[in-house]
Amino acid sequence: MATAMVISSANSLLAMLNEPHPHLKVHALSNLNAFVDNFWPEISTSVTLIESLYEDEEFDQRQLAALLVSKVFYYLGELNDSLSYALGAGPLFDVSEDSDYVHTLLAKAIDEYAALRSKELNREAVKVDPRLEAIVERMLDKCILEGKFQQAIGIAVECRRLDKLEEAITKSDNIQGTLSYCINISHTFVNLREYRREVLLLLVKIYQKLPTPDYLSICQCLMDLDDPEGVVSILEKLLRSANKDEALLAFQIAFDLVENERQAFLLNVRDRLPEPKLKPSEVPQHGSSEPVGAQNQEVNAGSDQTSPSEDVSMADEANTPVSNVMDPAEVTYADRLVKVKGILSGETSIQLTLQFLYSHNRSDLLILKTIKQSVEMRNSVCHSATINANAIMHAGTTVDTFLRENLDWLSRATNWAKFSATAGLGVIHRGHLQQGRSLMAPYLPQSGAVGGGSPYSEGGALYALGLIHANHGEGIKQFLRDSLRSTNVEVIQHGACLGLGLSSLGTADEEIYDDVKNVLYTDSAVAGEAAGISMGLLMVGSGSEKASEMLAYAHETQHEKIIRGLALGIALTVYGREEEADTLIEQLTRDQDPILRYGGMYALALAYRGTANNKAIRQLLHFAVSDVSDDVRRTAVLALGFVLYSEPEQTPRIVSLLSESYNPHVRYGAALAVGISCAGTGLSEAISLLEPLTSDVVDFVRQGALIAMAMVMVQTSEAIDPRVGNFRRQLEKIILDKHEDTMSKMGAILASGILDAGGRNVTIKLLSKSKHDKVTAVVGLAVFTQFWYWYPLIYFISLAFSPTALIGLNADLKVPKFEFLSHAKPSLFEYPRPITPPAAASAVKAPTAVLSTSAKAKARAKKEADQKAASAEKLPNEESSSGAPNSGTGKSSAEKDGDSMQVDSPVEKKPEAEPSFEILVNPARVVPAQEKFIKFLEDSRYAPVKLAPSGFVLLKDLRPTEPEVLSLTDTPSSMASPSTASTTGQQGQASAMAVDEEPQPPQPFEYAT
Amino acid sequence: MDPKLTEVSQLFERLKASLMRNDLDNCSNLLSQLKVMLTGFRSLPPLFEDSPNAVQELTIARNIYEHAVVLSVKAEDQDAFERDFFQLKPYYTDIGARLPPSSQEYPILGLNLLRLLVQNRIAEFHTELELLSTNALENPCIKHAVELEQSFMEGAYNRVLSARQTVPHETYAYFMDLLVKTVRDEIAGCGEKAYDYLSIIDAKQMLMISSDQELCTFITEERPDWEIKNGLVFFQKAKESAPCKEIPSLQLINQTLSYARELERIV
Repeated sequence: MATAMVISSANSLLAMLNEPHPHLKVHALSNLNAFVDNFWPEISTSVTLIESLYEDEEFDQRQLAALLVSKVFYYLGELNDSLSYALGAGPLFDVSEDSDYVHTLLAKAIDEYAALRSKELNREAVKVDPRLEAIVERMLDKCILEGKFQQAIGIAVECRRLDKLEEAITKSDNIQGTLSYCINISHTFVNLREYRREVLLLLVKIYQKLPTPDYLSICQCLMDLDDPEGVVSILEKLLRSANKDEALLAFQIAFDLVENERQAFLLNVRDRLPEPKLKPSEVPQHGSSEPVGAQNQEVNAGSDQTSPSEDVSMADEANTPVSNVMDPAEVTYADRLVKVKGILSGETSIQLTLQFLYSHNRSDLLILKTIKQSVEMRNSVCHSATINANAIMHAGTTVDTFLRENLDWLSRATNWAKFSATAGLGVIHRGHLQQGRSLMAPYLPQSGAVGGGSPYSEGGALYALGLIHANHGEGIKQFLRDSLRSTNVEVIQHGACLGLGLSSLGTADEEIYDDVKNVLYTDSAVAGEAAGISMGLLMVGSGSEKASEMLAYAHETQHEKIIRGLALGIALTVYGREEEADTLIEQLTRDQDPILRYGGMYALALAYRGTANNKAIRQLLHFAVSDVSDDVRRTAVLALGFVLYSEPEQTPRIVSLLSESYNPHVRYGAALAVGISCAGTGLSEAISLLEPLTSDVVDFVRQGALIAMAMVMVQTSEAIDPRVGNFRRQLEKIILDKHEDTMSKMGAILASGILDAGGRNVTIKLLSKSKHDKVTAVVGLAVFTQFWYWYPLIYFISLAFSPTALIGLNADLKVPKFEFLSHAKPSLFEYPRPITPPAAASAVKAPTAVLSTSAKAKARAKKEADQKAASAEKLPNEESSSGAPNSGTGKSSAEKDGDSMQVDSPVEKKPEAEPSFEILVNPARVVPAQEKFIKFLEDSRYAPVKLAPSGFVLLKDLRPTEPEVLSLTDTPSSMASPSTASTTGQQGQASAMAVDEEPQPPQPFEYAT
Repeated sequence: MDPKLTEVSQLFERLKASLMRNDLDNCSNLLSQLKVMLTGFRSLPPLFEDSPNAVQELTIARNIYEHAVVLSVKAEDQDAFERDFFQLKPYYTDIGARLPPSSQEYPILGLNLLRLLVQNRIAEFHTELELLSTNALENPCIKHAVELEQSFMEGAYNRVLSARQTVPHETYAYFMDLLVKTVRDEIAGCGEKAYDYLSIIDAKQMLMISSDQELCTFITEERPDWEIKNGLVFFQKAKESAPCKEIPSLQLINQTLSYARELERIV
């Protein structure tokens, strides 16, 4: 009963406040403080009295009075007053109290403090209340004491207290975990670029103090800081180490750096690594198989960069005759150095990717055939789109069967369509660095003689070379420069400019820039447009003053095409510069010329790519609804996709209203925005938003929606979202419909290409695994969206493709036989079923023979995996000993004799209950949605250096004595021998490749002009 | 017995003694000490913690505050009265059945009502009244205050003045005196609105003042703007009578009618 008694009013206590005796006042105050939660309405009428107590200098419990007033104000919703009195309460304000009041005020205090701090650091004259600082510090200390390190880190980062950040990290119990958390938030929540640099610098500092530094993360940070020196010293240290695992780690670091595609940085790192001291014991696999023609011209340019080519190593040998007696440690070091350089140059990963895409190609030629047959002959747009779709479908796989089978049909492409068609080869052979030149040779402009080739195919071939060497153009740029200089045909200039831009992406090479600028100043519309884009590509993210030069010319010229090219180019230069770009963006968005404003939208998109920066979003939304030009509005909406790609879940919500706009351009922009930011995610909301747009009344909106839908759905299987199947059927229907508008038909054709891009083994990814932006991919998509004006730019989408594979590598950078588990039903992530062939399909079947065998090999491997899994359940010990060799032989036999497999095929198992897991064999396709199901087997022979579910993973060999079984048998070991490459000509090389099961170069086919 | 409690009760005895002696200074001194000591008891409101001596502590605390209220009346200190009364109140309202009701409860409640009446805080007066039970309303102390308020509101000022003679408790005298003053003030207020001037005899009768001398002091103290001239009291009304604004009645009527018409049309 006693407990049930409570006072019904605070009046008695308030009356006591008026007592003259200070002791009574204190008693009243402390009791009021205890009861304020219930009686604040009554107390609020007397708040002036309590305030006067607080202001009374002689009263010794002023802080208590302040606390009480603060609480009353809190209940009255006057947070500002409440906070200022809480500050007055000093230590009585207990940050560890678990009440709404304390939580709310702390949040308020931290916000306030953070705002003041950021103003202070912007050199604005503000005085931070020391009491406020004290509260925040108390909060931080408390978090650290209680082990809530993530909270502490969050607050410290927000308030820009690097000292506290450091303290929080070093005191945390799991420093590695905390650090990686910290890196993560510095990317997602720190909006100011400068400040992010400071945070990262601090993190690197802390990392280096650790006894066992996490070199992978350090190097990622260093890359953000653009500090090649740091990376080099770490790599060197690791390579020098006697421990084999350290070297593996170095390789892994190199692969991770390459994944972020910052060419300029990678080149810096590579060039700073010391030259290997002696001739390596064996010529590395990515060896000097430069195209023959190029060898002589560019020994100087190519040799030292593309790894130890013959001449250099020979010279070394001559100079250092003692090499034979050198320390074996030095030998391994040199060997490793060569390998790291190879990785850093991107060649190793490109080559492995190429092999993976080639060997796993599962594209369905029947789809293309259907498209080809249904498209009207004379409709050049659709004809061209079909060629584009073919290129995209086979991007990077080097499979050009379709083109070779349909030479007649292909020859209908004339003029720019021919340019496109030729360039398409570049997409198909993307990454085929060694033979790129020889592949394109028949179409390239012949130096000296004015060949009979059409300028369109010549220009296209140069563009194709750029696509092949995109972002890895060391070997080809000299050739492209020469081609550019030696021609004054604007079509060829166009192709050469694009090619140069692509191959030297982001290198800010002054000489190339000048060459391209000369083309620009010829004021030819066609060449100038490409020159503008090319200048932007060269200067990506450099934020150089070249932008103003380009802007000046854009004002000068009369050609819309040139202005547009330059506008995009300017936008590209500010890539990722965030606030630094604001002046330029302001300049562009205020311009009279809508094309430049349109460039301004791209500048906003690229400068704030993936930051989800509120200011940028607000600005874009403003332009999306208020600009007078439809182009600008469309681009503004589309640009939202770039700003938001780091948070794809947000985009559908933000653009959902815009997608219902009356203006078709805005709807189109909304569709593409969703397509860009949700690319490859298969996000359900995105699909729901796009679905109605695919049957919009306006043709180009349908086109955009179809393309966007394909981008979202790429690699999403029907088992995950049944709407994928519906979409495929919808595409087919649109393509077959005779009365459909050309625009949407073209959209549908491209969409089918994107949906099955890269032999169904690639996805569109704008973020690397470490959540960094992939420059090439973002730039590629940005230029791709220009296809609205210029169809050949469609091919830029291939830059955004990244293979979805887990490729395990051993210390020799070879792909060993290695198994791991995907803990999900296989049907969730399997390839889409090939469409059922029509009655006369037998003729079509023939070229896909390679595919069917590999499919069967796969099926068989799977079957064995199932059996193995079944046996593994009974005898877990036996698994490792019996499983690996079994499946190994199965696979290799499958690859050797495709025909015998046909005989085997009737032994297919009957359908049974689907297993809940699947054993995958290195290298394997792992789609993004599947990544979370990937597990490494514990008793496997290999252990990954880094637990990554996809990408390149270096494997530790736990049983180095056993012979290794290599998985990708087509490692170009024989081909890499320089003698073959230099002595035999083009043909010889081609035959060598045939032996190696390397993708064959197509027989040059001529257009019937 | 708890030593603290003993100390308090001893001190309380001294307080009672000095109250009997009417030694007010000493009283307030003792009272202040007592109040401070009471803060040490945790069984008192607002904490109501359970302790073995809770009942004794509560009883003595209630006693002390009751005396404090009486003391404040004696000292003619209205602020102190209010303070002490509010501190006493929880002992009446919130303590429930733990203590037997105090004999002083109704006189003190009635006193408080009277105080509110004197201070012309009619709203609070009624709030307090609503909190009382019907039984309490029958209590002569309460009843007295209620009747007074009724007469006051009706304007039956003579009844108010005559009630001065029938106080139920000796402590009421102070407030009754004050009330007379309040009433006189009201009458004076009405008078100066109603008349331009009055003869001294009429004024005396109206204000219920017995002698000319008292009237003069009343005027100099309370209404310095009044004037006595030629056996008449002038209220100086002319000075303040600003021409009052005319209400634009015709326009308002027209407007209202048109609204009504419009309303009908809408429906």
